[in-house]
Amino acid sequence: MELVSLKKISQESKISLLKGLGLDSDGEYVLDSTGGKILDRYLEIPIKVDNMMILPGSTIVLDDNEISIMKYMEEFEDEF
Amino acid sequence: MSSEPIKDFGEGVGKGATEGLLNYSDQKIQQLIGLFKDGKLKFIGDQETIRVAKETKRSGEWAFYKTYIKDKDLLFIIRLGLTLRKVEKDSRRLDNLKDKIRRKYDIKGLHVAYFVQNGLLNRYVGILLDDLDSAIKLETTIINTLKNIEKHTIFVDWRYEESQLLKDSMTLTAAHLSEIFIISGIGSAAKIVRDCEEKLVEVLKKYELEKISTGEKEVFFFKRII
Repeated sequence: MELVSLKKISQESKISLLKGLGLDSDGEYVLDSTGGKILDRYLEIPIKVDNMMILPGSTIVLDDNEISIMKYMEEFEDEF
Repeated sequence: MSSEPIKDFGEGVGKGATEGLLNYSDQKIQQLIGLFKDGKLKFIGDQETIRVAKETKRSGEWAFYKTYIKDKDLLFIIRLGLTLRKVEKDSRRLDNLKDKIRRKYDIKGLHVAYFVQNGLLNRYVGILLDDLDSAIKLETTIINTLKNIEKHTIFVDWRYEESQLLKDSMTLTAAHLSEIFIISGIGSAAKIVRDCEEKLVEVLKKYELEKISTGEKEVFFFKRII
């Protein structure tokens, strides 16, 4: 599986990606289709577009930090 | 499952770089979304975050603790302690991870992670091994200590005064009868701990002292005399 770093992509393109995946953004945070802030699955914090990851498993958006990545690796038995 | 190296997909597919960042065409975005939905691609953030997360699982310490500790939550916090150690030279990354650990596991979880980060758990296990009579005892003692870390360890910070440190040490050891009682001073707190050594030895008469002493770290392990 290939890895694409969102750190190298413009804000505009990241928001287009989110929209293409059925999500949205207010320009700062990742939103769901109803306009609510999506929370990181493991830390329950809002996710900034600047600091997001989008991973497989019913399109999981996470905050880019070590805890969320390690928890994701454990839950989905994914070693990246 | 393992992944291929990071690609930027920039060459010949986007509108070009804007302020150093890639601005993808609508067509390229649809292509990426197609690959993602087919399970062929992940959108990650900072590559370093993933590298650090993966590296901790390859350490000898991790292999050791995974063998002896079956409590999954505790094991995960131990792994976070190893991660703190990996990022400790990068203050932005270190502060961010400490903040996230505190949010998720409160101050107690952060203390357990500190305990691992600063090598205290390794030394603690080393002392336990001197008198060990079974692997089960090793596991139960480690788990008991980490789950009740505030009863067996004082994490001294720069606000601590000598009188308070002496008082807290006497109170905790009397209340919990720790087999090993630990006082840890890192950074600016190292001097506070170092300066209290004689008085601590004086008041903790039922314990013998073993210490880790470096320029920025002063850790006292008081082992109860049986």
